[in-house]
Amino acid sequence: MSKESTTPPAGYDVGRENMLDFKVDDQLLQVVETDKKNFILTNVDEVFNWARLSSIWPVTFGLACCAIEMMATSATRYDIDRFGAGAFRATPRQADLMIVSGTVTGKMARRLKLIYDQMPEPKWVIAMGSCAIGGGPYFKYGYHVVKGVDLLVPVDVYVPGCPPRPEVLLEGLMRLQDKIRGRKGKFKAPKWVTDYAKKIPYRK
Amino acid sequence: MEQKDIYELLAEKIGAAALGFTEAGVEPWADVAPDGIAAAALFLRDDARLQFNQLMCLSGLDWDGYDENGKGKSVAILGYNDDGSVESSDRVGEGDLGVAYHLYSHELKHKFTLRVRVPRATPNVPTVSTVWATAGWHEREAWDMLGIHFPGHQDLRRMLLEESWVGHPLRKDYQMPEQWDGVQLKGENLIANPFPVTEPDPVDNSAGDQPAEG
Amino acid sequence: MATEEHKVTKGWADQDHVGEVKSELLELNMGPQHPATHGVLRLLLHTDGEIVYKVTPVLGYLHRCAEKIAEGVNYKQWVVYSDRFDYLAPMCCNHAYVTAMEKVGGLEVPERAEHIRVAVAELSRIASHLIALATFGLDMGAWTPLLYCFREREEILNLLERISGGRMLYNYMVPGGVRYDIPKDNWVADVLDFITMLENKKLDDYNNLLSYNKIFVERLADVAVLSKEDAFQYGCTGPVLRGSGVQFDCRRDDPYSVYDRFDFDIPVGLGEMGTVGDCWDRYMVRVREIEQSCRIVRQALETLPDGAYQSIELKKIVKAPAGAAYSRTESSKGELGHYIISDGGQTAFRNKVRSPSFCNLQVMEKIGVGLMVSDLVALVGSLDIVLGEIDR
Repeated sequence: MSKESTTPPAGYDVGRENMLDFKVDDQLLQVVETDKKNFILTNVDEVFNWARLSSIWPVTFGLACCAIEMMATSATRYDIDRFGAGAFRATPRQADLMIVSGTVTGKMARRLKLIYDQMPEPKWVIAMGSCAIGGGPYFKYGYHVVKGVDLLVPVDVYVPGCPPRPEVLLEGLMRLQDKIRGRKGKFKAPKWVTDYAKKIPYRK
Repeated sequence: MEQKDIYELLAEKIGAAALGFTEAGVEPWADVAPDGIAAAALFLRDDARLQFNQLMCLSGLDWDGYDENGKGKSVAILGYNDDGSVESSDRVGEGDLGVAYHLYSHELKHKFTLRVRVPRATPNVPTVSTVWATAGWHEREAWDMLGIHFPGHQDLRRMLLEESWVGHPLRKDYQMPEQWDGVQLKGENLIANPFPVTEPDPVDNSAGDQPAEG
Repeated sequence: MATEEHKVTKGWADQDHVGEVKSELLELNMGPQHPATHGVLRLLLHTDGEIVYKVTPVLGYLHRCAEKIAEGVNYKQWVVYSDRFDYLAPMCCNHAYVTAMEKVGGLEVPERAEHIRVAVAELSRIASHLIALATFGLDMGAWTPLLYCFREREEILNLLERISGGRMLYNYMVPGGVRYDIPKDNWVADVLDFITMLENKKLDDYNNLLSYNKIFVERLADVAVLSKEDAFQYGCTGPVLRGSGVQFDCRRDDPYSVYDRFDFDIPVGLGEMGTVGDCWDRYMVRVREIEQSCRIVRQALETLPDGAYQSIELKKIVKAPAGAAYSRTESSKGELGHYIISDGGQTAFRNKVRSPSFCNLQVMEKIGVGLMVSDLVALVGSLDIVLGEIDR
């Protein structure tokens, strides 16, 4: 088994992305290489990504009106639990996702950053509603409104609306799941796996 | 009781501090001098013919640039521009600050409106929080938003903004802040688009779904 | 090594008598992010163990400068911001603002528009009370009423979406009328069907499930009693005031719109399960108000007149002559009032919002003392506050 298919490419930033200190046995890979026709070795990253996207647990961070739509999304009609994201944790220590739903004000900004910092890696942020995206209707005269939560924390998905319908929030969650699905970890797959993955037709 | 009659009773009690009663318009109001407001409040609450036991609303007002003629030419406020910068102007506010009190009596079912005007340089209005407890928070908010000081208030500190905030936002000459406590409060440029639109890479789907290899 | 006398301690329980032990109150922060504070409310508690000796609400975490905005945008545009105060009953907030603006401006509203306004405001009030019940049950540990109430609320939101276009925040009323007429797809009949179903079946469900549930009653009876005098002093209105036995409702005692034509009762707290003015009374007032709102909706829609739904066309400019007026309405949380000063133009000179939750919350500094922390959660839930209103 050649070295270049198991080490990450040069310049790859292992800072944020890695959670695994994982080494695959060389012999196992050798088995796979010779027995390709009989084995399907799933990319370990795919397994971990699948596990993560199927159980994204949000932290209860409802600020304003969008929080009520978030509650409606977790109610029975637009059940968010069928995506695995129904266990809203009150403590950020046990959560992966922060749905910033509502207006972020200057006074709340420091607390938002505190909650974000307390979440363990890997973590994602959905900016829900126009206030969290860019200040919303309070842009022109809002002296106490932070014009967008991406001035404070890195945002992964922006969900527009005022407030966004629950279906839109679910669409945003599915986009986030796509983003997680495509993550590459420290463990780089063998070339034949990535070649195969490229041929899977991507949902347009 | 009619509001005019209530005003007569009030004027008897506080004498020179009752400055006048305006009937015209939708809602008549009584003007009271600031030093008479404490006595007026106690009288209005305790007198058996009046019994105003609830303060419905206490509003801080800024009369800076008010168009007395009613032509809609009052001075406009300053906001943020579309590119995120702050509108600024050198105009210094003038004109009085004021407080309006709206009272209601649950027993006798009548209402009354009082107004007080104080100069901008020394906006001191004696507190009524000892008369109606709800004024405690309303006066704190008037201090926070407009800078009206209420001597006699037990706990006059900012209500909605943090203590370290500078300025009183509801004043007409208030300029929006660019940042506070390290948090950026001005917006990014709405007009420029940081994400140039490019065509995504074409996906080769012509062969259709392929069975898994191996 | 100290030689001064102190009492001989015999066991753990006697530690309180040891003179040298210094104790102070624990300063605990029920922070802005909390599952039980109904929004971004921060409560600074000074507790001795579980008993709270001082509670200080710290506000402003959702201060969105709406009163400043009222001086910058014109009367029609500000209706959008009025929705965002009490985002659980936005039609009531719309109604409050346009009533105030029409009082200052001397504008006329056609009869049909008034009936439609009353109907949608009452539907919004029912939706808000459903959330009040749901979240209150959730705070007390009951998970099922949340889902039941949200199910009914989705029906209401469907109906309101058909008439206004928005699911939760509507921007539906304009000074002079309403923005759109009733849709022609059988809306009135659907509303009446929904109201009938709610009255006949669902309220009994909620009462059986939650209201008379032994655990719920034991947690709420005699907790945080609010006396009438305190309620008047602190400016409490709405179900908080009515739960203390005062029959005061702006719709009947200071009527606005066409409420004086309709026949409805004012439920008050009677101290059935404990004392008059405890948390259970305030909760039960809300349940009974849902019934009364159903009656009002039915009366408003059954006597709906034909005619115009706007007195000013949407594209015309709305101005008010110079003047000032305070006008109050009964929102789902209490008395929502606007003091609008106008200078003759399209924009208000000053718009002070008197929000009910702001005044209701202040009472917590007085009656929250001496409660246990979990009773404090019950108190916050029974006051039914909305932070959008408090912080404006």
